[in-house]
Amino acid sequence: MKKLRKWSRILHRDIGYFFIGTTLIYAISGIALNHMSDWNPNYSIELKNFETDLNLSNSTNVKEQILLLLDNVDHRKNYKKHYYPSNNRLKIFLKGGSSIVVNVKKGYGTAEYLKKRPLFFEVNYLHYNPNRIWTWFSDIFAAALILFAITSFFMVKGKKGITGRGGIYTALGIVIPLLFLLLYM
Amino acid sequence: MKKIILILVFIISIISCKTDTKKAAINESSETEQKQETPQIALGEFDIKAGDFVDKEIQLKGIVDHICKHGGKKILLVTDEGDAHVFSDERFDDALKGSEIIVNGIVLEERIDEAYLLKMEENNIKSHSEGKSNKEQFENRKKHAQQYRNMMKADSVDYISNFSLKYISHTEID
Repeated sequence: MKKLRKWSRILHRDIGYFFIGTTLIYAISGIALNHMSDWNPNYSIELKNFETDLNLSNSTNVKEQILLLLDNVDHRKNYKKHYYPSNNRLKIFLKGGSSIVVNVKKGYGTAEYLKKRPLFFEVNYLHYNPNRIWTWFSDIFAAALILFAITSFFMVKGKKGITGRGGIYTALGIVIPLLFLLLYM
Repeated sequence: MKKIILILVFIISIISCKTDTKKAAINESSETEQKQETPQIALGEFDIKAGDFVDKEIQLKGIVDHICKHGGKKILLVTDEGDAHVFSDERFDDALKGSEIIVNGIVLEERIDEAYLLKMEENNIKSHSEGKSNKEQFENRKKHAQQYRNMMKADSVDYISNFSLKYISHTEID
């Protein structure tokens, strides 16, 4: 038992240090993605309204007009594509995910500028398993979490350990998700 | 000994080059065949023609208007003439937004009938009573269900088909 306790502490501590960065990645992105209905976790959005006299109706030479519009409201080098969702509306796509919608009859328009949220964009990207290598790494991290749970049983002895206060906390941590399942599933 | 090794290397390189050329030729011809075999449907005609291609592979060409921010596995492909949803098992790259692409995929059909609408209404009532949707959303969904019923009645049909595409691959057009 003494040996088991000793190794539980060593593994819990050292593997714990190793996965501090990964834990923060999943914790930060977890909160960010949990609240996806309240905000865009990857981009901040800035809206800019404008008016234009340019003739942007659907025609063969409209692209030149669109580039002139971009000279005023953005940069022509950011032009990507455009299309007409309806007769009155023109949507212009810009590089970097931003876009502009114009009411071509009234000349009113709104530019939607997207800006990557630093840190959140990167951690969310990793959270979504971008490739097979990361999938393997995150599987190892998940296995380490299981190991942390198991080793925590043996790390501390006495009334602060699993037979005392630790046991009550463990039971509570299991009862809460079970209650949730009973009430909401 | 050195000469033998050199000769061996020479022979192996010739064989591998030949095999590669052959493989490349085979790949090219099969790709051409596939390209020729996969029909391309204009987005404006997708809703009309998709019924003939359910569970079959087709190509659609359009601009990526939107990538679903919840999971990123759904895109809305658009042109001046129409639009279609494309679903994937993998996440789409955010950089695809605004790009013109040709998508290869399998046509999926979702049938909206009375049973579907009853379930839709049940879910609407449930989510509203649980406070997950506001009054406006509740009324809009109710109206939406009624619109489907009106469409079915007008066309004297038992169901309405919603078509989409299950993603296989895509090519970006400059």
